[in-house]
Amino acid sequence: MKRSVAALTVVIFFSIASSALAHHSRAMFDQTKQVTLVGTVKEFQWTNPHCWIQVLVPDPNDPQASPVEWGVEMGAPVELMRKGWKPGSLNPGDKVTIIVNPLRDGQPGGLVVSVTGPDGKIIGHPAAPGSRAP
Amino acid sequence: MRVRVALIEFFVVFGCVSFAAAQNLNSKARVEAFAKLPDWSGMWEPDIFVGQADGQQFSEEALRKMKARSESMHPSFTPEYQAKYEAIRKSIEAAIAADPVHPPATHQPLCGSPPFPATFTPGMFEWRITPEETTFISTVGAVRHIYTDGRSHPPKDLLWPTLMGDSIGHWEGDTLVVDTIATKRRIYMGELTGFFMPMSDQLHFIERIRMVNHDAIQIDYTVEDPIALTKPIHAVYTQTRVTDFDRMLEEADCEENERDPVVNGRFSTVTH
Repeated sequence: MKRSVAALTVVIFFSIASSALAHHSRAMFDQTKQVTLVGTVKEFQWTNPHCWIQVLVPDPNDPQASPVEWGVEMGAPVELMRKGWKPGSLNPGDKVTIIVNPLRDGQPGGLVVSVTGPDGKIIGHPAAPGSRAP
Repeated sequence: MRVRVALIEFFVVFGCVSFAAAQNLNSKARVEAFAKLPDWSGMWEPDIFVGQADGQQFSEEALRKMKARSESMHPSFTPEYQAKYEAIRKSIEAAIAADPVHPPATHQPLCGSPPFPATFTPGMFEWRITPEETTFISTVGAVRHIYTDGRSHPPKDLLWPTLMGDSIGHWEGDTLVVDTIATKRRIYMGELTGFFMPMSDQLHFIERIRMVNHDAIQIDYTVEDPIALTKPIHAVYTQTRVTDFDRMLEEADCEENERDPVVNGRFSTVTH
């Protein structure tokens, strides 16, 4: 019984707390959700500790409105390079479709799951199924 | 003329010293000692990092491994340290409950050198083995010096807690046995909770490190602390060979573009 209580404690804590296996926590992102962004690249930041894409996303229900700028986070350059990315994989003006785990606080930001480039192909090697941060 | 003589004397002396040093470095005994050491050359990474998504989200298999390891190594604390553990756990739970969308920062960003034993987690690694020392180098800035020249730990009055502590080792066949003390007196609860648990000044790590096959190095890791633990913690970490990359590139320069800063004790994200 004591063992099962301890195990339960671990599981509960595991599910609510953040992990530190990257440079910093990913707990800001809701990994149970995915949002698809269809937009235009404003800037691709190939930087340490992590790469970022600034993408302008129009509201499909209101094409006249100004697009919303999202900042979406990726891994470190060296890890992305191993996945088939290059510093020039994206350029300003590129039309992209980006799947992200959104920020919990509702800001226009997220953690990138995958990016489909202007040629309609996913950039880099696909991830293993069901990938998410703990 | 006097200058020329002095220069000649300098180069003669310098040449003799260099020749003597080279002779020593390439002595028969040292070459033989090298030949007995295993070959761990190449690059390595934690097995849980394989198959990540673009945001470095872990694969389902990695999550299963992490959870199983976390549960298997769950520490059995003494009453004093169990109380400390519960206090930290409750404070984190309270902070999450108070503001679920802005999670509390249970640690500072792991930029720069992660403290031992968190050195096992992020990045890619190299092991440099010489008869006198094995050096562990990671792409996130961690460097461990494991002295295998037969020395002991320094006397207690010359030790104080440091990021990597003091490591000495010896070879038992192809297994490197490492003894580490004088770390920052905490253990990394990362795979459970992302925080560092304070421990006593008796904290002591023993690692048995071996290449179990061409593509895997296994670290059999034991934590002892008679003040904080009722029994040692034991865990096994596996590093797999990196086959898709051949350069150690630095990846922990947070000054370049840190957009997840800690603000008021919580992680935040700068979207613009």
